[in-house]
Amino acid sequence: MTLTEAEQETATDQTGGPLTGRSIPRVEDARLLTGGGRFLADVQIPEMKHAAIVRSRVAHGRIRNIDLAAALEAPGVVAAFDGRMLATVSRPLSHLLPIPTIKPLEWHVLATEKVRFVGEPVAIVIAESRSSAEDAAELVDVEYDELTAVTDAVAALADGSPLLYEEWDSNDFLSHEHVTGDVDAAFAAADGVLSERITQHRVIGLPLEGHGACAQFDASTGKLLVYASNQQPHNLRTVLSDVTGVSEARITVIAPDMGGGFGNKQHFMREECLIAVVALQVPFPVSWIQDRYESLVSSVHSREQVHDVEIAYRSNGRVLGMRTKIVADIGSPELYFTGASPALVTTSLLTGTYDIRAFSVELHCAVTNKCPIGAYRGFGQPQAFVTIERMMDLLAETLGLDPAEVRRRNFIPDEPRPYVSVTGARYDTGSFPAQFEDLLDLLGYGESRSAQEAARREGRFVGIGLASIVEATAPNLHSVAGRFGGFELASVTVQPDGHVNVVAGTKSQGQGHATFLSQLVGDELALPLEMIDVQEGDTALLAYGMGTWGSRSAVMAGGAVIRASRKLRDKMRAIAANMLQADTASVELSEGMFRSAGAELPFVAVANAAYLHPFLVPPDLEFGLTETVVYDPRNTSYFPDEQGAMNVAATYATAAGGVVVEVDPATGAVAILDAALVHDCGRVINPLIVDGQIQGALAQAVGAILLEEITYDHDGQPQTVSLLDYLVPAFGSVPRVRIRHRETPSELEGGFRGAGEAGIIVMPAALVNAVDDALRPIGVRVRQTSLRPKHVRRLVREAGFRVDPLAPVRLHGLNIS
Amino acid sequence: MDLRMRVNDKAVHLAVEPRDSLLEVLRDRLSLRGAHAACEQGACGACTVLVDGRAAQSCLLFAVQAEGSEVRTIESVGTPGSLHPLQEAMHRHHALQCGFCTPGIVMAALDLLESTELFESGQPLDRETIEAAMSGNLCRCTGYHPIVDAIEEVASGRIQSDGRSSTAAAAAGSEHLAEVEG
Repeated sequence: MTLTEAEQETATDQTGGPLTGRSIPRVEDARLLTGGGRFLADVQIPEMKHAAIVRSRVAHGRIRNIDLAAALEAPGVVAAFDGRMLATVSRPLSHLLPIPTIKPLEWHVLATEKVRFVGEPVAIVIAESRSSAEDAAELVDVEYDELTAVTDAVAALADGSPLLYEEWDSNDFLSHEHVTGDVDAAFAAADGVLSERITQHRVIGLPLEGHGACAQFDASTGKLLVYASNQQPHNLRTVLSDVTGVSEARITVIAPDMGGGFGNKQHFMREECLIAVVALQVPFPVSWIQDRYESLVSSVHSREQVHDVEIAYRSNGRVLGMRTKIVADIGSPELYFTGASPALVTTSLLTGTYDIRAFSVELHCAVTNKCPIGAYRGFGQPQAFVTIERMMDLLAETLGLDPAEVRRRNFIPDEPRPYVSVTGARYDTGSFPAQFEDLLDLLGYGESRSAQEAARREGRFVGIGLASIVEATAPNLHSVAGRFGGFELASVTVQPDGHVNVVAGTKSQGQGHATFLSQLVGDELALPLEMIDVQEGDTALLAYGMGTWGSRSAVMAGGAVIRASRKLRDKMRAIAANMLQADTASVELSEGMFRSAGAELPFVAVANAAYLHPFLVPPDLEFGLTETVVYDPRNTSYFPDEQGAMNVAATYATAAGGVVVEVDPATGAVAILDAALVHDCGRVINPLIVDGQIQGALAQAVGAILLEEITYDHDGQPQTVSLLDYLVPAFGSVPRVRIRHRETPSELEGGFRGAGEAGIIVMPAALVNAVDDALRPIGVRVRQTSLRPKHVRRLVREAGFRVDPLAPVRLHGLNIS
Repeated sequence: MDLRMRVNDKAVHLAVEPRDSLLEVLRDRLSLRGAHAACEQGACGACTVLVDGRAAQSCLLFAVQAEGSEVRTIESVGTPGSLHPLQEAMHRHHALQCGFCTPGIVMAALDLLESTELFESGQPLDRETIEAAMSGNLCRCTGYHPIVDAIEEVASGRIQSDGRSSTAAAAAGSEHLAEVEG
């Protein structure tokens, strides 16, 4: 077996030197590999009952009546509630977004007056078993006065459209405009203008383990315990306190092992709040585990946007200005923090990695009678790069330039840093041109173009797609995602036996936090990984935390644990100095020993002294070895400035991606022949984990473009309701991506930039460009992100190309053997 | 209904509802929670166990269909302190991230690696064969290649150690199992 470049670079290494930077296999694995993972559905509480949720079967309607009587009499049923009953014992949720133009909105844990998408929760039945709860849920009789469904975002904004919220007088939930530079002058000075409409389709992150919650209220203590598969357990605690009225001091949220999240579990689901509210009403714990139908129709969808974009260019390929209008379909907005947030992120990155100084964007977030749109790995960023990278290719074609060349002529220059983008983002990044040349080298761009020419002469449709991105990591989304974001907490405790407990406010969903945080702590405290234990996801263990999203965990939790560990190391050096009768400054820590002038003390002896031998602790130091650190680089904006500019992220990661595809115009199938990605997430803590994130994100990018598409009919009925309708990549449908790292350290603690999302932000653009490039000889223009075979076939047909079934025979002759 | 089967080498006798799936009985009645419910439609393979030595999606089987069968679950394969060679290879290759699909992946791959038909056919266990055999299992995290790498490595190790016969390797695997169960 020959190793690819990525494999060689990530060959595991467990010997010598610092832990950081090494491909160490994960400490999480052994438990998960042997069936020892404990996911939400594995949580068992004595006396626990099971919930089934009754969901709307109509896309838009007024609830006339809900009859729970038959369900309440069904075998095993112990309780049932509808929305009006629970609205009297709970507070409504709200989007809480501090944006002046956003419509006011509150909603309850169950629908009360209207339903606005198929799958919206309207009632809940609690029974002894899940199957009896589901049987009884079918007996709940809900009568609706059906209303006309609104399923298209552009049509939703037209005059005369039926309204989801009559009180708003329109379906425009949020409109937002931003202008930088003199856009009109840029267009007036241009040699030409390219105008396109690019449509981006609806997909779902689809963690294999769906959402769920399990809650228990202890009336004797007033304490509420909630288990939830949630990426932000502390933030969920805050929301649960809002909704239930129980103080945060009396709520514990535990996020157990999570079977993926991908942003879908970043929200505070109505159902998570519902289960907590119900638990306050009944004398037993209640569990709800989302099934796959529920996950597909009533959890969190993503991406759907229409971009009308114009770029003004000079004949030398330089882009002078850009105008964009975005209509984002956000479905039902009743999802904390709503689909407006990723759409706002899209608007901030539309100029991509290019030095375009005149820019305007107009955003409209339209509500429709479809499942709420929300977070999915990439969070609005893939859409921005599909658009700008598509436009770069179209410009190259218009001017007869190579797509690589038109990019070279527009890249953000290497100086100055930070480069302040048209929306105020402060790019602290490495070189975009050098990263791109690295990609062309890794891809073998010249040879790929020659091979493409040869393939075209044989009548084959081979295409090459390129893309370049900058990615907001460790964001503070205060103004676009409500109250949460910004700082992170972590505590590090050295126990009397020298073992270390680390607690972080982030929450791994598979990203290997226990491993990479241990690597960082191990380097600071000169300890092996076996001495370090990392815990996340239990609000009782740490005052607060912001969870895991926005590629923030290595940067924010990493920064916090490094600082906490250093404080402990310095304190232990002072204790060791006292014990060795030496100067603190002369005491060094390495390989588990404190050393000074030939004398040495084991780490564990100092740890023990700090707790159990107070006479060895210098009088100016407190006993014990525990530090809690709040880390925030304080370099992000909480609100836009007067020009509407804001810096959303603590640091920015970058990547360039390229793919080579072959399209079969007869079937519409797209085969990926090669995929390459150059990645800069600053200092890499564990290449094995980072490369795994890139490969996994590539799979989701391939799925999103070539296989996956959530669809509804005109009445708002979902057509993708099982994994037989919604196809995700399987074994054999994903290429192996070849990876090269550039490590431009950030200025933050540790030098990290975020990792985990680059693959899904850069590769959709590269894939769309590659398919377009493949089909260019027959006049196909790709202006959409969904390139499932049926769509590719439609594009081929619309281009007027008729597939000659005998073409291979004419080319190669009949080969009958 | 009365159900008698052997699960992880232990005789099991219990009363079940006709509609109980094998997955529900394993998880809720026998507390073997390593097999997971993720689609309950036979589309994802997270619930995969071995029934009479072959990979089966336990969400699609009624429990009573396992009457008289030998069922093996992830709980019988390796321990955190003593991983099965396949689990060891998956660990080294970073072939799992969230770990939710992992028990199903391990069981499906064991079926493939222990399949005597395949070895007797003389077919090499190449990537395409592995991908075809594993196509009933979805993973949303890894992008699959690390899993195929791990399976390929275990398979090639067997071929190198004892030619094209799988017998010795399979026996070694069983010994390992016996050890951890004992």
